[in-house]
Amino acid sequence: MSAAAPFVLWLDDPIANGHPALGGKFSSLGEMTASGFSVPPGFGITTSAYRSFMDAAGLSEEARRVSAAADKMALEDIKSETKTLIAGVLNAPLPAQLEADIREAYAELERRTGVKDVPVAVRSSGESEDLAGASFAGQYDTFLWVCGIESVLHHVRQCWVGMFGEAVLSYRVDGQAVISRGDFGMCVGIQQMVQARAAGVMFTLNPLNGDRSKVAMEAVWGLGEGVVKGDITPSRFMVDKVTFEIVERKRSDQREEYRFDPSQGVAVLPIEETRIGVSCLEESHVLALAELAKHIERRRGAPQDIEWAVDVNGNVRVLQVRPETVWSRKAAQSIVGKSRSPIGHVLARMAGNQIAKPAATGAKGAA
Amino acid sequence: MAVQNNTTPSAKRRFQSPFDVATPPGAEGWQELYPYYAHISEERRAVEEQKLWYFDGMHNPEPLYPFDTIMTENWWVAASQMTTKVWPIPVAMGIDQRIINGYLYVSPNSIDDPAEVARRAELFNERAGHYYENWDTIYAEWKKKANGCIERLKQIQFKPLPEFEPEENVYGHRGIYSSHDLLSSYNRLIENLFEMGSYHFEMLNLGYGAYLTFREFCQQAFPGISDQTITDMVSGIDILLFRPDDELRKLASRAIELSVDGALLANSDPASALKAVGSLPGGAAWLAAYEESRNPWFWFSTGVGYTHSDAVWMTDPRLPFTALRGYIEALRRGEDIRRPLDKIIETRTRVTQEYRELLPTEDDREAFDGLVKLARTVYPYVEDHNFFVEHWHHSLFWEKVRELGEVFVAHKFFDDKEDIFYLHRHEVYDALYDMIIGWAVGTPPRGEVYWRPIIQKRRKIRDALAKWSPPPALGVPPESITEPLTIMLWGITQETIQQWLGGDTAEDGVLRGIAASAGKVTGRARLITESEQLYDVQDGEILVCRITAPSWAPVFQRISAAVSDVGGMMAHTAIISREYGLPAVVGTGFATVNVSTGDLIEVDGTEGTVRVLEKAVQA
Repeated sequence: MSAAAPFVLWLDDPIANGHPALGGKFSSLGEMTASGFSVPPGFGITTSAYRSFMDAAGLSEEARRVSAAADKMALEDIKSETKTLIAGVLNAPLPAQLEADIREAYAELERRTGVKDVPVAVRSSGESEDLAGASFAGQYDTFLWVCGIESVLHHVRQCWVGMFGEAVLSYRVDGQAVISRGDFGMCVGIQQMVQARAAGVMFTLNPLNGDRSKVAMEAVWGLGEGVVKGDITPSRFMVDKVTFEIVERKRSDQREEYRFDPSQGVAVLPIEETRIGVSCLEESHVLALAELAKHIERRRGAPQDIEWAVDVNGNVRVLQVRPETVWSRKAAQSIVGKSRSPIGHVLARMAGNQIAKPAATGAKGAA
Repeated sequence: MAVQNNTTPSAKRRFQSPFDVATPPGAEGWQELYPYYAHISEERRAVEEQKLWYFDGMHNPEPLYPFDTIMTENWWVAASQMTTKVWPIPVAMGIDQRIINGYLYVSPNSIDDPAEVARRAELFNERAGHYYENWDTIYAEWKKKANGCIERLKQIQFKPLPEFEPEENVYGHRGIYSSHDLLSSYNRLIENLFEMGSYHFEMLNLGYGAYLTFREFCQQAFPGISDQTITDMVSGIDILLFRPDDELRKLASRAIELSVDGALLANSDPASALKAVGSLPGGAAWLAAYEESRNPWFWFSTGVGYTHSDAVWMTDPRLPFTALRGYIEALRRGEDIRRPLDKIIETRTRVTQEYRELLPTEDDREAFDGLVKLARTVYPYVEDHNFFVEHWHHSLFWEKVRELGEVFVAHKFFDDKEDIFYLHRHEVYDALYDMIIGWAVGTPPRGEVYWRPIIQKRRKIRDALAKWSPPPALGVPPESITEPLTIMLWGITQETIQQWLGGDTAEDGVLRGIAASAGKVTGRARLITESEQLYDVQDGEILVCRITAPSWAPVFQRISAAVSDVGGMMAHTAIISREYGLPAVVGTGFATVNVSTGDLIEVDGTEGTVRVLEKAVQA
């Protein structure tokens, strides 16, 4: 892979657009930034940085061994198999240049945002996320509201360690442990925290039936953690991607939200009376998000899964994009049962036959 | 409230029996207003009790006038014979009708015997195929027939009988006289209506069929796609129904060019406005333009054209003058009032293209291309027949009937030409014969004393019926609804039936319908059950009606939201509301039962709910 990549790569660096050393998430965010979408500022500590650390610490060989063995490892053995490796990653000293680069980059982010100890999200962005069909959704760690360089350095190591956690090593697609397919590196993304008024996830298709003409959205008050983790019932919106009509909406009666609290960090906290029973998104936001989803899908040429937030000023920000992995893998199925002339279709319909079956649900064929 | 069939909403499988509907107080004897064959009766109980009868509030929101049943009786045959005898459509038979408490209830018949369906399908494929393949040619012929029919209608004249026959009838050796002319003119008038009524359905069911097929294809491919979006993909931009309004826009521009705009704005009464314009230097030119626009474009009904009481622009120009003033004011504010045709075409092209690209396979795209093309071929007929038939022809027809009414007034049968509408057309023939007997013999005809008390009684009965609110459906719902017109035109589906079975109001006092145009508004309700009430609408009120007609558009400048009982895909309430940016909830089923004029209501066009916040104090 790209040995020449720098240890730190900013999202707005022209070469960040799709750069493999940024891993799946962050190279996509580099692409989003380059395409002019509103992405919170940040930088990636590249896979090249990770490899340099592992080499210097003498852990590379052990990491390769553990990854290769993952396919045959029983779940209960993983902890003992990875014990030495994990201790190494947590304790080995960082190469001086790498540490200096990270410190300088964080200081630069403080300057850019004008905030001392600027709160950031520290996110894992693995190379393995690029593999088609493997979303690794929720498997890698994300740390929110990390403030100050010492805490950032600590959490970078936590992300690296996450590579060898039970969840990742046992993550299987088509019966094979994905991690065994190669020697994957890990980029760690450092990004300014969005003070989300509301946040959530959207798909550029209807995940229930694969209908490509919809944007399906789930949204909550506060940070989007609740949607991703599934512990807060989100409000749902379905928007027609062509006409931008909101064709379905279901407001969740949300009483708690994820937000940052100085004494507890990011926690689930009750929301005040005035927001209870109120939709977390205004119609204009729903439409702006759908518009955004359509652009991102167009730009990337395939259905996408997008994490987003609406900040306290009402601006829509892109937090993550990745290819949709379920419907995109299925072979397209025709909805018309029989090939007929247009008049033939109409005559058949008026004779009481159904001429098309519901899209992509694999329901009974049409007559 | 008159709907009594909702005692146990959750357990209901059927609606109230048509035999159990009580006569509203003051309307006793209403049956005599209508012919025997239009009534629910013991002899046919076995059939009538087991069918679903739904209220046709879309075409006939008011209790029928006896004469006006000519329209409903026309399509009872004309629409039905197309599906049963002419094509025949394999799975559908005709649409039956009954009049209950003065209101029209209809019931589609279907066929489910597979052998019979197959036998019909063979004929259908050949015959309907011929129409689809030659659509444009047949439609061109159709327009000629329609124009010819209208031309012949214009020629029909009704005059009081002369004291002595004119000389030409004597010396011309005609051998037939004014009595015969009067009778034959009446017969030609009735036949002319049935002729146009037959043309009405010559291509309509097939047009709807092609559209419906495309619609269902889209609904399967893109679940949740709105009816409006589907219509937008096939709708033309130069449809005749837009012409009357376009003429008003033109007249507004012309008024400003000719500096007669001030006179038009200053006089809200059309007659005074025309007089004021006439006295100005540019007046003659504008009046000439006005006359040119009027014919035929002011033969435009404020209703669906099925009832004589719907005001027609030609004879009652209050509505077009209101709209005209609105356009003049908009022009004075510097707005562009032309319809953005380029933008409409551009959107239609984009939307069609984008949906096409989202289809899963090449086979689907091919089917989509073919179906959208066919739907666009048939759609001009679907949209334009409405102007030819319901507006132009039928409005003229009602004027001719009034002309005949004048003859009855001249012969002392009636006090008012409008009284003729309280007679069924067969009774009119009787009365005419009575009249010519009296004329020929020289004895006063019985009609001079016979009809007045009957008309007076019928007027009272009809007024009592108008206060009754017809439930949306009666009888037993069928297993499935397949008849294309039912779905297309009335918007009645399995879901509609379920919703109606659910009861008239939810326990929380909230009416639910289809969220048709976004936004939330609170305001005073204005209940419109007869088009004459349109003139009562005050600025900012919320229109509550059974269904709107396209020609109500000018009223939308004044209202703040719209609510309707019925909402089929051809209903215009939703479309116009979106154009005007007003919240709208359609298909509530029961808004006109639960809301009264003056009630404070909240309309949420985003959620599809209507709440009564405060009832008006009843007088």
